[in-house]
Amino acid sequence: MGDEKKKVDLEDIRKDWEEKCLRPVLEAASERRGQFSTDIGVNIERIYTPLDLQALNFDYQEDLGFPGQYPFTRGITPTMYRGEPWLTRAYSGFGEPQACNERYKKLIEWGVDEIVMAVDLPTQVGYDSDHLMARGEVGKVGVAIDSLRDMEVLFDDIPLDKLKRVSILGNSFGPVALALFIALGEKQGLKPSDFVVDLQNDILKEYVARGTYIFPIRPSVRVTTDVIGYCAKHIPHWYPCTLCTNHINAAGAGSTKATAFAIANGVCYINHLLEKGYDIDEIAPLFTMFMDERSDFFVGICNLRATRRVWAKMMKDRLKARDPRSMALKLTAYSHGGETLLEPTNNIVRITLAALAYVLGGVQFLYNASYDEVLGTPTEEAAKIALRTQQILAHELGITSTIDPLGGSYYIESLTTHIEKQILDEFMKVEEIGGAIAAIEKGYYLSAITEGANRRQKEFDKGERVSIGVNKYRVESKIPFGAFRIDPALEQRQIERLNQVKKERDRKAVIETLEYVREVAKGDGNLVPAVLEAVRAYVTLGEICDVLRELFGEYQAREYFSSKGR
Amino acid sequence: MKRKLRVLIGKVGLDGHEVGARVVAKALADAGMEVIYTGLRQTPEMIVKAAIEEGVDLIGISILSGSHMTFFPEIIKLLDHHKANDIHFIAGGIIPAEDIQALKEMGVKEIFPPETPTSDIVDFVKNLVVKN
Repeated sequence: MGDEKKKVDLEDIRKDWEEKCLRPVLEAASERRGQFSTDIGVNIERIYTPLDLQALNFDYQEDLGFPGQYPFTRGITPTMYRGEPWLTRAYSGFGEPQACNERYKKLIEWGVDEIVMAVDLPTQVGYDSDHLMARGEVGKVGVAIDSLRDMEVLFDDIPLDKLKRVSILGNSFGPVALALFIALGEKQGLKPSDFVVDLQNDILKEYVARGTYIFPIRPSVRVTTDVIGYCAKHIPHWYPCTLCTNHINAAGAGSTKATAFAIANGVCYINHLLEKGYDIDEIAPLFTMFMDERSDFFVGICNLRATRRVWAKMMKDRLKARDPRSMALKLTAYSHGGETLLEPTNNIVRITLAALAYVLGGVQFLYNASYDEVLGTPTEEAAKIALRTQQILAHELGITSTIDPLGGSYYIESLTTHIEKQILDEFMKVEEIGGAIAAIEKGYYLSAITEGANRRQKEFDKGERVSIGVNKYRVESKIPFGAFRIDPALEQRQIERLNQVKKERDRKAVIETLEYVREVAKGDGNLVPAVLEAVRAYVTLGEICDVLRELFGEYQAREYFSSKGR
Repeated sequence: MKRKLRVLIGKVGLDGHEVGARVVAKALADAGMEVIYTGLRQTPEMIVKAAIEEGVDLIGISILSGSHMTFFPEIIKLLDHHKANDIHFIAGGIIPAEDIQALKEMGVKEIFPPETPTSDIVDFVKNLVVKN
């Protein structure tokens, strides 16, 4: 009763404020914009009050609860950053393994927790450095990895247990990625239980954003889920799959649609594993999610909070998980998005604020872009600033002193609930279409992405999407030179190293292990043990992928771009 | 009736980032041009063959992988080889300033960095093709 009276009072007070305080101001001068909108389509109100929370039936215990407890809105552990700040990651890799090894050692010296290997494009699509399609691409966007030998050089003097985690994306060849780390650990005298590996290993998003697929969709889902299944049984403390919203949003979908699609992709992998007889509580805790929002600081924060809530409810109600670990989703993020080529040092500020949003949202694993990535491979100085930014956020300024510091804000809670609804609505649309694979095949994901990309470009062209120094407050400035060059001669050197490995290895073991891979791939057994045997025998990534290409075929993107459509 | 301008937008090499290519393709199509998009993972040979078969006025290549100094000279050489130098060649993506000059000297008509309004590209293409 008392609440009801207060509500009436507040409504009256609000009306009074609008009439007496606000109206004269608006009559004298209108606001900067008619509407304050967001990239996800939610319009932002002038002010948020308890009335907004009442309208959404906000309930503290049901919507927020306490950190470490369902629905995990405020965080997945009861101490969060007071226990330990998020893991600082660095996405790094270029050129040849030796040169890259030196950069890794520097990063470790500066205090990085995790190295995420950036590998070159031939590696990402399963070609060795001597493949025809690899020409001109070796060592360009990442380090070239052909065989276990390259991993040995890359991590020379870097014991894997010295890092809190170590990672390779491995989206299209998850079993090889996993095997490379298991085998490298063996070479260093470590068991998988001694260190922690995480993989992206999320193939479905590659068909609509990013593009590093190899096989057709269905065999690819098997390749991806074999890795998750293997880890569930043998290495449950590793992270075999990161569901990616990042690339889907970056390509144009908007962050809530991207989250919905990533969850739908995750449900596709989970269903595949459930059909194979795995229990939900055996596999769900192994998933992490890669979050992304680049247009709005507060949407960025709320997106993480809402996603944890959506995941928790989905695991509990829909997939009947019982273990709280299945419901507590660990989140990764990559701080970047609005960087510009003009006046690139401004990007340090943009990246810092993006990182702050993810931290306020309760992220577990974070990496920052380097301010010069718009120009090419990051320089050493820029890579150091990217890491230092995270360390400053973690240890100076009191940002990590309390859990979910913005929780309870009328705005934050309203926005979190709106985003939760959007994610669920969009997820249901994908379900109606028939799930993730159908949404890819029928072009649903791609149409959402393309629509968003065109909208963003139009907003930019019209100046509605502001980029300081580019389409607002622009001054005459030259496009800066890229400071970091990749030596074009390295391609030949990498090919020579590959030939050397092929000459030195046991040829009989190569033939036998490849035959074993072929046999397992023909059936429906788990690919990882066979691939691991091959990797140990210095069979190359390209050789393993070739066997699988022969059996599974290669994905051919269907083109439906026309001058009328998209 | 005046013939519509025909444009081939292509991705060369293994680079999988195609947002820019698609957005530019759409902008040119909206400006009344016929646009063919090659999709990912094309070789210079595939690009030039498609351009000749489709009878385009202009090739536009998007590249973010840093492999432009390998592929662009090959495209120019192949156009020469097939006596198809009347097909204009423009590009966009992440290409350092020091390479832009070299590529223009080789015959790439223009290189559009990130943050270019699509209207600049549309205007450039129209002027370029009309002028010739």
